[in-house]
Amino acid sequence: MDEFQEILQDFLVESFELVEQLDQDLIELEATPEDLELLNGIFRVAHTVKGASSFLNFDVLTHLTHHMEDVLNKARHGELIITPDIMDVVLESIDLMKALLNKIRDTSTDSGIDVAACVIRLDKVSGGDNDVAQAEPASTPVEVEEAPAEEELDYDNMSDEDVEAEIARLLNERQEEDKAKRAAKIAAGESVPQAPPSPDEVSSETPKEEPTPAASPPPPPPAPPAVKKEEPKPNDAKAAAPVKKATTVEQTIRVDVKRLDHLMNLIGELVLAKNRLIKINDDVEERYEGEEFLEELNQVVSIVSLVTTDLQIAVMKTRMLPIGKVFNKFPRMIRDLTRELNKKIELEISGEDTELDKSIVEEIGDPLVHIIRNSCDHGIEIPEVRIGAGKTEGGTIALKAFNEGNQIVIQIDDDGKGLDAEMLKDKAIEKGLISEKEADNMSDKEAFLLIMRPGFSTAAAVTNVSGRGVGMDVVKTNIEKVNGIIDIESEIGKGTSMKLKIPLTLAIIQALLVGVQEETYAIPLASVLETVRISTDEIYTVEGKSVMRLREDVLSLVHIADIFEVERIMNGGEHAYVVVLGLGTQKLGLIVDTLVGQEEIVIKSLGDYLKGIEGVAGATIRGDGGVTLIVDVVAIMDMAKNVKASSTQNSTSNVEQLTQEKTKSSDYTVMIVDDSKTDRTIMTSALKPLGMTLIEAGDGQEALSILKRGDNHFDAMLIDIEMPRMDGYTLATEIKKYSRYKNLPLIAVTSRTGKSDRMRGVESGMVEYITKPYSADYLSSVVQRNINFKSEFLS
Amino acid sequence: MSDKLKEIINKQSDQQNPDLTNLDDVVQLVGFIIGDEEYAIPILAIQEIIKPFAWTRVPQVPAYVKGVFNMRGSVIPLIDLRLKFGLNEQKHNDETRFIVMKVGDEIAGFVIDRLTMALRIKKQNIGPAPDTIDREDSLIDGVGKEKDRIITILKADKLLKRDF
Repeated sequence: MDEFQEILQDFLVESFELVEQLDQDLIELEATPEDLELLNGIFRVAHTVKGASSFLNFDVLTHLTHHMEDVLNKARHGELIITPDIMDVVLESIDLMKALLNKIRDTSTDSGIDVAACVIRLDKVSGGDNDVAQAEPASTPVEVEEAPAEEELDYDNMSDEDVEAEIARLLNERQEEDKAKRAAKIAAGESVPQAPPSPDEVSSETPKEEPTPAASPPPPPPAPPAVKKEEPKPNDAKAAAPVKKATTVEQTIRVDVKRLDHLMNLIGELVLAKNRLIKINDDVEERYEGEEFLEELNQVVSIVSLVTTDLQIAVMKTRMLPIGKVFNKFPRMIRDLTRELNKKIELEISGEDTELDKSIVEEIGDPLVHIIRNSCDHGIEIPEVRIGAGKTEGGTIALKAFNEGNQIVIQIDDDGKGLDAEMLKDKAIEKGLISEKEADNMSDKEAFLLIMRPGFSTAAAVTNVSGRGVGMDVVKTNIEKVNGIIDIESEIGKGTSMKLKIPLTLAIIQALLVGVQEETYAIPLASVLETVRISTDEIYTVEGKSVMRLREDVLSLVHIADIFEVERIMNGGEHAYVVVLGLGTQKLGLIVDTLVGQEEIVIKSLGDYLKGIEGVAGATIRGDGGVTLIVDVVAIMDMAKNVKASSTQNSTSNVEQLTQEKTKSSDYTVMIVDDSKTDRTIMTSALKPLGMTLIEAGDGQEALSILKRGDNHFDAMLIDIEMPRMDGYTLATEIKKYSRYKNLPLIAVTSRTGKSDRMRGVESGMVEYITKPYSADYLSSVVQRNINFKSEFLS
Repeated sequence: MSDKLKEIINKQSDQQNPDLTNLDDVVQLVGFIIGDEEYAIPILAIQEIIKPFAWTRVPQVPAYVKGVFNMRGSVIPLIDLRLKFGLNEQKHNDETRFIVMKVGDEIAGFVIDRLTMALRIKKQNIGPAPDTIDREDSLIDGVGKEKDRIITILKADKLLKRDF
């Protein structure tokens, strides 16, 4: 049974591939009905499927393909000219074949789909109701003759080994045939009750099938490789066509997608490790500048990072599929639509070799179907109108795919009537999608994007093709799902051009890292249109929302701190950075404090416990081992609508705490920052008589972390300038960044007496400058003055 | 003489004590302190115990979810049990630990004040949770009695369940 399953699996995979090719070929055939090579190719597909399905006991499928084969065989021998009407029947039968294959895939049987009607039509096409039986003996012997003829030719050129191999192959084939015969007999015997049209016909057909497997490439007999290589040649010779396929036989294996996903995960880990390594390398470089081993370390690090990047690209490529996989179904679709809508439309496809990640290829199929249908139905006019407008009778839709940086662009152009911005606006107002005020402020481009809104349809009447107002909405949803951007350009009377910009892959992405207060967030670079630095007075408030003017447009703004509930402890300053996000059709400005840079990040999930947090798409691990949250641009666009303007406000609540009532001398707290223990002791002893609380720190960083901890409210700080790790100036600058410490008196205590030193002190925010050595009384009085020490506490 | 005798007798009685390791009816737990209470978690639910390190805050979660941290390449949520149990937040000190618990696919780190010890408690010494507590929703699996102590045994799977 397992073996059967395996064979079945192979059969399905092969058949689906063949059928896909079939669609393509048939459309081409309609254009060039005389192309013998194409006809032969199509015939072979039908034949292969028939052979394999009879072997596997799929009677209905066998029955259908058999009749298809008849029609095609006649065409192949010039007895039948393929007209559009005949093509309709053939295409219908191929659709049925697809349906049957799907059925087999899902249920392992092919019963339950009625093919009788189609078979009758096929028979009619191939020449009268009863001709089938007669036509067949006429057609099949031809092949039997053909086959040995070529093989004999080949024997002359073969080496001994090849002849041996050929003999082995023929033996194999004979066995295969016998098997098929047996299987067919069983099939015939069993199928009598089920076979839909005439059981007699089926049973009478089966014996005639025997010669056919030998004629065309047998399903897959385990033939020696030497012969396999030669096999295509006779076939092509038969087809009287240039040797084309023989050279394009590619060496491939099928790999389970799960294995590739696992591989991708591992690469992700490697990328993280690489980022860390680079960071460590930078640190080491700084610390041991000029050491010899650095050179070597540098080399290793750059090699590792180079190889990792290459590896990542290589693995990404294994997951890539040509976009042609999706494009292939459109010629057929256009053909059906043109007949249905009575229009003349030609489809031009280019760039079908462009590759995309498998998961994305799966997502963009539907959107493209909707866009192309839409172009056919609404875009391209009927021939009379076109001629009236001075255009060619037939319209053209061009489907293009190409790479642009880290993105794939899929462009759909039509030369139809174009989009009318005013009409779209009216329609949207009528449907209550936008207000009149909104419509007035809308640019043409924004108006075009209205067609992507749910519930919007401009077709006057609902047709079979479009007009139900769901289609284009699907486009937006699916494209947003893969972080893509939609861009529409259109000119009335000339046509419409729609661009879908889609990132190459989803697992490892380029991100823009932004800083807010002390936190960092990663924004997928694919969604970032640009970044701008603005001054805070460029931000306006309209109806409780912050907005800014960006060239022609008005951009709504939201502060990232409002979305992620970041506490604002530090001052924003006069300038802010705005990251302009674009997604699908929307735009939003995100205000951040700093731009950190661009980095390649690996998306990790937050796990079950924290999943579904609005605005967070996941997390990534940075070079320093910390976790950074990834912004979910789709969600932020939604959240921004509910955020009130507070972009420029600073919290003032903390200021009150600094002016708390002092009731005893120990309520006063002073921090002493000096790297020398002796100096700290001197200062401590000078201030001790006042009875205030004294806290010591050994250097700037320690002082800063004590401040951040917020256990004490300091009234003043005594700061030494010369300190390791972080000097006094830097410390003062850092402290002044916090709005709550804006008014904290900082007193420099130093032996540096130069004028420039004093200037630097003032610049960094120091209020007093005490030079060493100093008397205890002097220090004490300076401190008292600066903290408004109440004299009644002095005992 | 009497001292020596006592020693021998003590030794013998020690040996007579049932060997706890070999018995099925013993529960192995890890004890820890939160606030003033001692709690315990089955040892099998614990993946590891680590010293505190930096984590990243996450928005829109209850205060007891401190954020996420990186444990050898995995992003793991961090939950402060002090806050979860309604106590005040406390600064992390030398004794603070993160206990990383894992049940099935659910994994999270929990901040505790300090560890006590690994415990072996006989099943017969574990009583049910007080009746006043709703059995289904309770985080408490039972109450273990050991010598003079009373230890609250928690359900790891309930702790790991998102309840917001």
